Amino acid sequence: MRQPSVITRRVAAVSVSLVVAAGAAACGPKDNDAKGSGGDSAPRKGGTLTVLNSEPQTDFDPARLYTSGGGNVPSLVFRTLTTRNRENGAAGSKVVPDLATDTGRPNKDATVWTYTLKKGLTYEDGTPITSADIKYGIERSFAPELSGGAPYLRDWLVGAADYQGPYKDKKGLSAIETPDSRTIVFHLDKPEGEFPFLATQTQFAPVPQGKDNGTKYEAHPISSGPYKVVKNENDGEHVVLERNTHWSAATDDERKAYPDTIDVRSGLDSSVINQRLSASQGADAAAVTTDTNLGPAELAKVSGDKQLAARVGTGHFGYTNYIAFNPTVKPFDNPKVRQAVAYAVDRSSVVNAAGGSALAEPATTFLPDQKSFGYTPYDPFPAGASGNAAKARELLAQAGYKNGLTVTLTHSNAKDFETSPEIATAVQDALKKAGITVKLQGLEDNDYRDKIHSVKTEPGLFLAHWGADWPSGGPFLAPIFDGRQIVKDGANFNTGLLNDKSVNDEIDAINKLTDLDAAAKRWGALDQKIGDKALVVPLFHPVYKRLYGSAVKNIVISDWTGVLDISQVSVK
Amino acid sequence: MNGFTGFVLRRVIGAVVTLFALSVIIYVVFYVTPGNVAQITCGPRCSPAQVHQVAQQLHLDDPLYVRYWHFLQGLFVGQDFSTGTSVEHCSAPCLGQSYQSDQQVTSIILAKLPVSFSLVLGAMVIWLVLGVGTGVLSAWRRGRFSERVLTAITLAGTATPVFVIGLILMIVVCGELQLLPFPEYVNFTDDPEQWAWNLLLPWLSLALVEAAGFARLTRASMLETLAEDHIRTFRAYGVGERAIIARHALRGATASVIALNAVTFGSAVGGAVLTETLFGLPGIGQELVHAVKVVDLPVVVGMVLVIGFFVVLANAVADVLYAVADRRVVLV
Amino acid sequence: MSEALVAVETAGADTAAPAASGARQFWRRLRAQRAALVAAAVVALLVLIALGAPLLTALEGQDPTTYHPSLIDSARGGVPIGSFGGIGADHWLGVEPQTGRDMFARLVYGARVSLGVALAATAVQVVLGVAMGVASGLGSRWADLVLSRITDIFVSMPLMVMALALLAIVPDGFPRPVLVALIISLVSGWSTTAKMVRAQTLTLKNLDYVAASRLSGWSTWRTAVRELLPGLAAPVITYAALLIPSNISAEAALSFLGVGVKPPTPSWGQMLTSADVWYQAAPQYLLLPAAALFVTVFALTVLGDGVRVALDPRAASRLRIGTGRRREARADKAAPKAGTAATATPATATSANVTAAKKEDRA
Repeated sequence: MRQPSVITRRVAAVSVSLVVAAGAAACGPKDNDAKGSGGDSAPRKGGTLTVLNSEPQTDFDPARLYTSGGGNVPSLVFRTLTTRNRENGAAGSKVVPDLATDTGRPNKDATVWTYTLKKGLTYEDGTPITSADIKYGIERSFAPELSGGAPYLRDWLVGAADYQGPYKDKKGLSAIETPDSRTIVFHLDKPEGEFPFLATQTQFAPVPQGKDNGTKYEAHPISSGPYKVVKNENDGEHVVLERNTHWSAATDDERKAYPDTIDVRSGLDSSVINQRLSASQGADAAAVTTDTNLGPAELAKVSGDKQLAARVGTGHFGYTNYIAFNPTVKPFDNPKVRQAVAYAVDRSSVVNAAGGSALAEPATTFLPDQKSFGYTPYDPFPAGASGNAAKARELLAQAGYKNGLTVTLTHSNAKDFETSPEIATAVQDALKKAGITVKLQGLEDNDYRDKIHSVKTEPGLFLAHWGADWPSGGPFLAPIFDGRQIVKDGANFNTGLLNDKSVNDEIDAINKLTDLDAAAKRWGALDQKIGDKALVVPLFHPVYKRLYGSAVKNIVISDWTGVLDISQVSVK
Repeated sequence: MNGFTGFVLRRVIGAVVTLFALSVIIYVVFYVTPGNVAQITCGPRCSPAQVHQVAQQLHLDDPLYVRYWHFLQGLFVGQDFSTGTSVEHCSAPCLGQSYQSDQQVTSIILAKLPVSFSLVLGAMVIWLVLGVGTGVLSAWRRGRFSERVLTAITLAGTATPVFVIGLILMIVVCGELQLLPFPEYVNFTDDPEQWAWNLLLPWLSLALVEAAGFARLTRASMLETLAEDHIRTFRAYGVGERAIIARHALRGATASVIALNAVTFGSAVGGAVLTETLFGLPGIGQELVHAVKVVDLPVVVGMVLVIGFFVVLANAVADVLYAVADRRVVLV
Repeated sequence: MSEALVAVETAGADTAAPAASGARQFWRRLRAQRAALVAAAVVALLVLIALGAPLLTALEGQDPTTYHPSLIDSARGGVPIGSFGGIGADHWLGVEPQTGRDMFARLVYGARVSLGVALAATAVQVVLGVAMGVASGLGSRWADLVLSRITDIFVSMPLMVMALALLAIVPDGFPRPVLVALIISLVSGWSTTAKMVRAQTLTLKNLDYVAASRLSGWSTWRTAVRELLPGLAAPVITYAALLIPSNISAEAALSFLGVGVKPPTPSWGQMLTSADVWYQAAPQYLLLPAAALFVTVFALTVLGDGVRVALDPRAASRLRIGTGRRREARADKAAPKAGTAATATPATATSANVTAAKKEDRA
């Protein structure tokens, strides 16, 4: 998406869910063999991979990163207990062991999880990695100095809610036990069948206590992965990684680590990144991006050029853009009004505003259309491709608004083509046909976030989006629809203020399941049940298209991240 | 000399008052600006308790005057910051530490200034040559069709926003013709040649935007001189028009061009936001825009003070140079 | 901006000449310049287009906000279908990528915002600048000091910070174009106008007719209104002509930074911002607003030059004795014409003025 790099660094990085994981892209799941990618020989070791990014790697501390493996580049330096399966498409949304020998052994009700470390694991300086280092890494993520991680550890671990990290509280977290140097045991408050997914996050990367220098650790984090940081200039603007000779492929099934050097250059304008990748001259031939999509204008140009089109990777990341209602604000307390909006929406014009059918797919379900989320197709208010204004008018008349009504749609002024004015005006145009006059209220980014995430100021009708912390229904549905997650005095994400006992109970029941396939089916059914309440109107799921240089081979794009995995890329 | 000392003294006092007022204004403005700083710093999914901890950590809950007092303390005696495992001292003049990146503001500024200077210095050479050149030509060909064409060309630079000029230049020169590499900042000390090649397009884009002002000014002050009595006398004595332009009119324009140059330079050091953003040059302007968006108050105040300093300095320098070049002006 | 510079920038506008020479003379001199007349006609046309936007779009049968999804190729990022961006009888200048909104309608409605913002901002800059300048020029030493510091603070404040400050404080129901105009005018322009006006005021203050009015016991207010303002008109008008084009560009810059006029309201700056990446795929999307902006700025500058010349008899004479006419120049050599000699007299005033202004300025 066209987005000046000035917008937000950390804010974007942790923004409401994994914008960072929405990393790079390359050949799609369907055309992923090395053929499309400039070379037909097998991937080989050596060379320098250049990464052209718009956002600097400001956070390079495992405590402060949000996503699985901290996204693309950090995952080359930090190994975690488990990790994402580095394979194309749906296979890539599986969780697999990394430092641990398996994805975790739960007790009977999934409240205690035990992991054993592989043998022979060492840091970049050759010292062994111990289970105590993993415990310490998790503990320091609780320090207010190192905030930024996901909320799950605090919510799930026994007695962790008020823990302030090892700097203030030397006793540590009693919920984590390390009976020996290779074993680590986690005690949870309640059953959590998806714990193996959580263990992919960088908080589960080992940090040697002796090397911890607090907020300065990010300048040179100690590597457990195939690469180590040799240069970190201007707070992540220019990062150079080189081979960690103490890493052994024998203990790591996931990272291929073909290039000798990874050169990450950021702070670039997104249109310039795409120009450079399409020109693909000099060092740019061996370049990828882990944060910049093709925008509509660039897609229009690329799609007319066969050679360029062959160098576009397509991926799907679990992400939904939607209209949200606050049912405590009139007239949206009336389900018929909400349903009328759902019928009136013209998804084809919204999709066009978001970049066209190649960059966005119309959505009628809140869950992304992927099996691992438990995707179950449904459409409670079938509006067709471009809206059903007649049906909307009929519902409005039933609700007592025979002559139409006037409402305010709140959106952000960011240039993200998600909650931005372009989408809002497309919605405005469609609702006009159904007799709903929409006044636009565009807020500055921070103001917008403050307003929609505060129970006290939440507007009645606004644009929102949600992305997957990992490819499963749990972190997708629970924060938005679990009544016990309504936060009255802080950032609230249950914007529909739904507190339905049957929904809450079903969430608890699914969390008990350690069979993730069985859980997925029930998340899908729950999504449909919630969908009938018309608390949100799903608009579209984004599709990621990214260019990569002409010398880049071995493109792998999983459904977990939707973007090219740089641990698999070869440039020789 | 005494008069000059007095002038300098008055300017210094004026500058200090201006910068002080700027810092107060920024503090007040950011106090009322929406955006929960602690929530932004902590991350969107932080719990109210965590947000509270971060707010305490950064002294965000303190009243405005207390926070400003901390800022002044840092400036005059220095400040201590906890890294978690140890305490770091930031010695005076300390502009504080970024909320977002935990870096000291002074070190951020020191890292960004060379970039901004590189950009503006090179661009200055081009805008002077281009601007004064077309200014002279259009004064010489005044009232003719060729002058209109020249004016049109320089104005095209001003009328087209730099993000359009820059992008098209890049697409054509770097993408299609492949004459230059795509710009990327290289330290002058690392490789002066690469530094220049990489900055060539940013220089050109920025210069094209500024050149028109110089052209207009050169033309205006040359015409001013050409209307003066002594030029009439020269003409009357048969001195050629070229000689008059080169020897007299251009000299008359020097003072004002120098003055405009100082001012343009001063404001571009922190003000070339669009050029820096488009070409990915990590300079002062780009950093300031980012800091404003994430409500990173210490960085904003630091940057505003640095930018203000250069603007004030440039104005003073402009006045001095103007007085030196045009001895009719007295610095009082 | 430095005081030195301001004095030079308006050089050419004869400040000391009493306004008594009259509007008739001004028009006569303006009419004598063909280029200025053409420019004036273009500016007038642009203003008419802006004012008549609803009429023009009604004539075309389009409006600036309706989406036409059938006219764009959704699979290719929403590029307009057809040659030259879908130009045809229905859409005179084609349609916008991604939305299919009518380009002609957006362009003429965009003229409203861009010209409106620029003119309004200029008006604020001039009013504020004259008020502050006259106040510090006529006021006490302390008033002068305080007002000059305030001016300095605004000069040193970066545009972006100022924009954000105002966006934060002003409620979002406030009309956005007005806000953008205010931001532009508060950040730039008015302070330089104020500095210039202050310098001119200090000069004028000591001229006989103004001094006389002050000595005869008239109030400062009355002196300002009756005696000073007419004398200030020429340099202020000249300077305003320079401000308008720079305000138009400022609107575009604010749009790029995401703090400009909000969609769906079209403005040229906003069109340029979203169009620059389309340069390769749909060039007309970028070229149309860019051309409109260029024509406007060019016309305003040429007109500004014309106004300057018309306000300043010496400038007019300069053109007459221009080098272009060598024969005439040679004739001058032999015996300067009466006309030239006559216009030469007030010429000395300006350089003296600059000097005087400088001296007073620093006092």
